[in-house]
Amino acid sequence: MSLFIRNYKPNSLATVYNVKIWRLHSTAAESTQKKDENEEEFRVLDILKKKDRIQRKVTRRADIQPDRSDRMAPDQNWGNVWPGPKTFHPSSVPLPLRQGYVPKGQAPPGKKANAELMKVPNFLHLTPPVIKSQCEAIKQYCTEWPNLLNSQEAIEKHYPVEIITSDYCHASPSIRNPLARIVTLRVKLSTLKLDKHARDKFIRLVGDRYDSSTDLVTITADRCPARIQNTDYVNYLLTACFHEAWNVEEWEKDKTEDDMEYYDWNNNASKKSLVNWHLQKKGESKTLTDDEYKSFDVSEIQHADGYKNAVSDWMNSGESEETVKKYAEAVRKLFGLPEKKVV
Amino acid sequence: MYSNVVVPRHWTRLSCLCRSLTSLEGQKVPQTAKSSDGISPPPRIRRGPTDILQALAATVGTDPTAAHYKYHDDPYLIPLSNFRKRAYALSAEAGRKAAAWIRDEHADLFTTREWDPPNKAKTPYFNADPHIKAFEPKPIYNDESKVTEADLQYAIKNALIEDSTKVFQLLGGVEGVNDELKLQFLQLLCFYNEKEPDSMEWLEERWFAANTRDRQATTWRVGGLAEKIFQSLEPKTSEAYCAIIQGMAKYYQAERAHMLASEAIEKGLQLSTSVYNSLLACVGFLREGTQMRIEALKSTLAQMNEQGISPNSETLSACLKSISAWGGGKALQQVALQVVAEFRKLGIEPGLAAYYYLLCVFCKERGPRYDLLSTMINDLEKKQSLVATEPADTNFFITAMGVCSDHLQNMDLAERLHNLLMKDDNYKLVGDAYKESIFYRHYVTVTCRLAPFEKTVEILDTLIPNVYVPEPSVMEEIIKTLEVGGAGDRLAQAWSQLVVFGHARRARLVERLLDAMCNTYQGQDEEIKAKMRSAATDILNFGIMSEEQEETKELRTPGQKLSASALCNIVDMCSDAKDKADPGWQTVNAALQKLGREEAAGVPAKPQVLADVAQKAVAIGQPAIAAAAVTYLAECGFEEAMSASVQVLSTMLNRPESEVEALLGQQHSSLTGALHPSAMAIAEAYSIAKTGAPVQRESSSSSSDSDSESSDDE
Repeated sequence: MSLFIRNYKPNSLATVYNVKIWRLHSTAAESTQKKDENEEEFRVLDILKKKDRIQRKVTRRADIQPDRSDRMAPDQNWGNVWPGPKTFHPSSVPLPLRQGYVPKGQAPPGKKANAELMKVPNFLHLTPPVIKSQCEAIKQYCTEWPNLLNSQEAIEKHYPVEIITSDYCHASPSIRNPLARIVTLRVKLSTLKLDKHARDKFIRLVGDRYDSSTDLVTITADRCPARIQNTDYVNYLLTACFHEAWNVEEWEKDKTEDDMEYYDWNNNASKKSLVNWHLQKKGESKTLTDDEYKSFDVSEIQHADGYKNAVSDWMNSGESEETVKKYAEAVRKLFGLPEKKVV
Repeated sequence: MYSNVVVPRHWTRLSCLCRSLTSLEGQKVPQTAKSSDGISPPPRIRRGPTDILQALAATVGTDPTAAHYKYHDDPYLIPLSNFRKRAYALSAEAGRKAAAWIRDEHADLFTTREWDPPNKAKTPYFNADPHIKAFEPKPIYNDESKVTEADLQYAIKNALIEDSTKVFQLLGGVEGVNDELKLQFLQLLCFYNEKEPDSMEWLEERWFAANTRDRQATTWRVGGLAEKIFQSLEPKTSEAYCAIIQGMAKYYQAERAHMLASEAIEKGLQLSTSVYNSLLACVGFLREGTQMRIEALKSTLAQMNEQGISPNSETLSACLKSISAWGGGKALQQVALQVVAEFRKLGIEPGLAAYYYLLCVFCKERGPRYDLLSTMINDLEKKQSLVATEPADTNFFITAMGVCSDHLQNMDLAERLHNLLMKDDNYKLVGDAYKESIFYRHYVTVTCRLAPFEKTVEILDTLIPNVYVPEPSVMEEIIKTLEVGGAGDRLAQAWSQLVVFGHARRARLVERLLDAMCNTYQGQDEEIKAKMRSAATDILNFGIMSEEQEETKELRTPGQKLSASALCNIVDMCSDAKDKADPGWQTVNAALQKLGREEAAGVPAKPQVLADVAQKAVAIGQPAIAAAAVTYLAECGFEEAMSASVQVLSTMLNRPESEVEALLGQQHSSLTGALHPSAMAIAEAYSIAKTGAPVQRESSSSSSDSDSESSDDE
């Protein structure tokens, strides 16, 4: 190439082209040279990047207005300033707030640039006057409360069934939440007006959904995808259990004393002994059938009711000082023994 | 992920009350809002989906300290000038536009599930529920698109002019589309004159758009697509005629519109009221001269009557629009009143647009006063709510406020008008950003001129700067009011407002402010005086700083410099310091230097001020400043220079004035060694003032300003 250039004579046609070639050549040579230099240099690993860290001059804007909380009138309507829930902002809250953990003896940091204040949810949008005015505003859509439902008892009496659902609110393209489908039904068992058998059967049907301490039956459904389906389903379950409880099946007659869920004094040996004792005392000696024992009216025996209750109580609620003492008193009364003297 | 709002037990009781199972079904709904038997719940009060929200929103009023809610509530991000307001709002919208662009261009990203293997998404999937049409990706049409008539219908329904034109072409143009669709398309084209309208989606763009003045010029596209479609329609129905006539009339192709109208009438086709409304609005384009035009208007109305078409309120405003466009004069005003009276007889009350045109006809700047406005406001205040029906409705409030301010000059009416605008939801009638600022310009002007001072200050505090940023002319008005009211602290604040609003480089305004400050300076409290002095110092420093910036950045349009009078005002205020070490003296010094270097325009209007300052300076022990002041006076050739220099020198040397005069009469060279440099400079100045030239040029350099700290040791 250089040979070509040396022998080159200005030629009107090829000038531009040649110049171009020459330039190309020269730049290529330069770049290779540079590359060689770079390779020779030993590169240092700069982990902390100390070289790149340049102190940048922070330019502050001059035309920043003072906090607007300084300009607020003392009698302003706070609801206008903070109409909705939002993160705390020091320039719009005219309160000398402090928050944050500091060693003992120091004041907590002020409100400016305080992440602690921004983290906690604030209720600046729900001050008492605001709540009051909002209630006034939506009163026009409220109907009057039924005047006979004036107490908790009245409500429970007229609306014994309680349906519990949850609504969810979240930011996402979809407003649906799968948890919203779950429906819980609660009813007091006593309000269903069941007889003894039906009540026993109902409790056996619902199993652990019945809480004997509160007398509440709680039925929860979440198997259907929509809330209304689950509501229908819990209502169906309650209806089905209710009607099933009233049915008496043929096999239920096979229930023996072992299947009893409670101690029935009438069916047990204690009554047999009492009746026998009574008959002996009267001097009648006759053998009775089981059914005759069961249907024997103990009210003709003096103090038998107290004895019956004492025994049932002992057997149903278990042995305790109370029941034993009650039993002792009942037996003394029955046999006509004197009261136990308290020493 | 979910914020779990578990409804407490009490509330579920209230909201999910079910009577016992048996009575739940078939329960009769009572008809009163009261419970029928005292137990069952009363029937619910019907409400729309947003009624509760609106009721709650109505409890929130305006907060004068806060910026509009579209801006961030942060001192760094609250815009305080008109430029920033516009820039911030449009930037936020630009972000929304970018998001919408991504949504449209990459619509597939939003309809696939993450867990679907690529290219195997079986069903179209939308993660949004409920599915909102407005947030869906918009279809994009190009030459390869396969389109159906449904696409054209979609485009027409959503007023997408360009898309519908494209689809129309792809469908095969005039031949490929059925007549019904063609008619719909024609109506769309005529309404928008084949131009894509500003999208409803971009509120800020519409708010700040500059198309505030609708020009009354023929902009109808002659031989465009609309006309082609109209030609192709066979037979031409009355709907087609209505559409094309209204389109032409709306875009001022008046003659052809009227021709087509008469053609339609000849064919026996029924035209609508709105066709006549549009024809009436452009009737002035047919004739020249007021009388001819009025006749044309009347004949069109007569024709309307012949056709048996009943007018509506828009007919009235169309008539008044035409009349108001023909200029002023008694005759037109008469006709306007006749028209209004005639329509009143028919039971048609004028609306906001009609009122606007009436104000245009009657309330000219130079003309007799007509108090139409008070009756209008009486009428509007009685109305339940103001509903916008025409685009011209938004012109009413600014024009009315303009009339209050310029024509009637009535503060009472202005306030009533403002209250009317603030009532309920009426603020939407303010129009756009431009109209809003004109409205407030008039309001603030009339307040400054006519309202009592306390009232003015109160209104200014609520409006500025969050609702309205005053323009320079209004700012001047405000400064004038504050000056008259003698509010020194507010004048000092006004300077920082000038900086914030971006008016600080307007020399005229700053000079006006300095003048006002200077005039009110006497008689203020010491504290306020200090504030005013610091404001004056700030003004000077700002001027110096902006000059430096200009030099470094080489701005093409250099800012105007403060005049010498303004600098004198600064000097006057800052020299009111009892203490020698007061920073005010530095400002005085800087200002005098600026004067001395002839960096200020003109000469001071009140040279006596400088003489007084020199006297004060020397009394307090700042001889260099005194020297600078006297030298400047002498160099400018003021008469006060002589007496001032004598007085200052006598104070400085503690001799009677006659002696000093004698001293100054001596040979100059004999003084050179004996006197302090500052005293020397004053002697210099005296001789300049006396003879018009310095005695010894070289010695005058000794009065450099660097020794301003040197004390008077004589």
